Amino acid sequence: VSGAPASRAEFVCIACPMGCPLNIVVGSAGNVSVSGNRCPRGETYGQEELLSPRRIVTAVVPTDSADFPCAPVRTDVPLARALVPELLRDLCGRTVSLPVRVGQVLVQDFHGTRVMFTRTLPPDDVSPVGEAGSEPEGQDEVALL
Amino acid sequence: MRRSVDAAVVGGGSAGLAAALAMREAGLSVAIIERDPFLGGILLQCIHSGFGLHEFREDLTGPEYAERFVRPVMAAGIEVFLDATVMEITEEQGRKAVTAFSRKLGIVRLSARAVVLAMGCRERNRGNVAIAGTRPAGVFTAGLAQRLVNIEGCIPGRRAVIVGSGDIGLIMARRLTLVGCQVPAVVEIQPYPSGSVRNIVQCLNDFSIPLHLGHVVTRIEGKDRVEAVVVAPLENGLPANAKAFRVACDTVLLSVGLIPENELSRAAGVPINEATAGPRVDADLMTGVPGIFACGNVLHVHDLVDFVSEEARRCGSRVAACLRGEPREASVEVAPGANVRYVVPNECAPGRQNVLFLRPLVVKNDALLEVRVGTLLVKSRRMAHVQPSEMVRLSIEPGAIPQAGGGVAKKMEVSLR
Repeated sequence: VSGAPASRAEFVCIACPMGCPLNIVVGSAGNVSVSGNRCPRGETYGQEELLSPRRIVTAVVPTDSADFPCAPVRTDVPLARALVPELLRDLCGRTVSLPVRVGQVLVQDFHGTRVMFTRTLPPDDVSPVGEAGSEPEGQDEVALL
Repeated sequence: MRRSVDAAVVGGGSAGLAAALAMREAGLSVAIIERDPFLGGILLQCIHSGFGLHEFREDLTGPEYAERFVRPVMAAGIEVFLDATVMEITEEQGRKAVTAFSRKLGIVRLSARAVVLAMGCRERNRGNVAIAGTRPAGVFTAGLAQRLVNIEGCIPGRRAVIVGSGDIGLIMARRLTLVGCQVPAVVEIQPYPSGSVRNIVQCLNDFSIPLHLGHVVTRIEGKDRVEAVVVAPLENGLPANAKAFRVACDTVLLSVGLIPENELSRAAGVPINEATAGPRVDADLMTGVPGIFACGNVLHVHDLVDFVSEEARRCGSRVAACLRGEPREASVEVAPGANVRYVVPNECAPGRQNVLFLRPLVVKNDALLEVRVGTLLVKSRRMAHVQPSEMVRLSIEPGAIPQAGGGVAKKMEVSLR
């Protein structure tokens, strides 16, 4: 038993699109209790949002390619909100050379998060364009466009 | 170039990819025709996370989610035509003829036993919402701005007012702020946000971006470039001009809804359901034109891509069943009842598991969802909260719907109260 609540807070959980309304009560002993969550992730989110709010950061990094000028990236885990601007400044000051693969690491350790690419560029699906693979079944037509 | 396949899929976004995979896994030969030079559709410009929680139990970004489908599609031997735009779908001796224009291959003609429509949707624009004022540069739809920022690598302006609080608008409010632009206001005509609560929190509140609920943009000002918008509160359904205020900006982003893109479907004779602006479909997700099926946002606009993938997969497996010649079951018509804007599909097969998606008409706490055939209650569910921006998924078990007796046509009604 921790005595009377020292403070309360209300958040909307953003761990998933459900958006559960969270009620946070901080006991006088400093213990944090979360209610209103429909899954365990809500509990974690409620605790963190009160003590040190964190967000997954996504951005694009300029590339050396004219066809694909932006390579999208993300942090693997949420980053402290206060550090987001610093990471974004770092990322937009870079130029990456293609090719890159989804999951490939761009920054190994930014305050405990890893920044990695989220898209394979150039895409693997660019090459076939209905040419590779199967043989044409009918005669090809000459297209005059 | 000519090709003959079992199934042709129009569109290589989330719906087309999942439908194609399901059909290939069922043993059909499949071709996808995509007008962009890559597969993945709009997912590729949605670089934010929040995708895949249902489908993969992971929090993925749009491009990551897309690659989870593109890779198996490429590995499965599905033929892919990129940079190719489908012009028409016609009948040809009991088969479907799909004609596409490709930059590389010229005219491509696919002869198919079945066609899956997976063209997705497009954004409503200024003309659709009739905003008065001048016609300066700087007015964009939110999705176009998203493409500019995340794919093309340029920003649409420095100071953007966002009209509409749909999810794309909210995501763009955050995205623009993160790339150094200002977002002085988000203006929503309804008294409640049209996007998810989660996006209000992480996209607006995190950056102290003001959300004006129950307000409208009454005018766009500026000669060559946008200079300001005039915003007024709605009172009794009319803008209260005496309380209007001016917000200086150089850009206006419109996030005012999506419309299924069905020009191709209409031209092919597919009947459209007015409530969804998508094709009317039976329990197999087949449209009114036998052999033409539809899934994803071309059928009705979804909130979650995970639901698109699920629906498209179901569509693909039904195409395969139909092409195998499985006997078609007698079906029951499904209709929206009280407080429900629409239900998709428009028919149910009583002998099978049926998944229905419905769109509420109202914002309501502690709602009761009821499915009835006549006076018989087939299913009911208590729902803590419903709102128009959150689609409801409903599953009807095999045998739950009583079989039609004496040839009487039956209708099943889904309502909220």
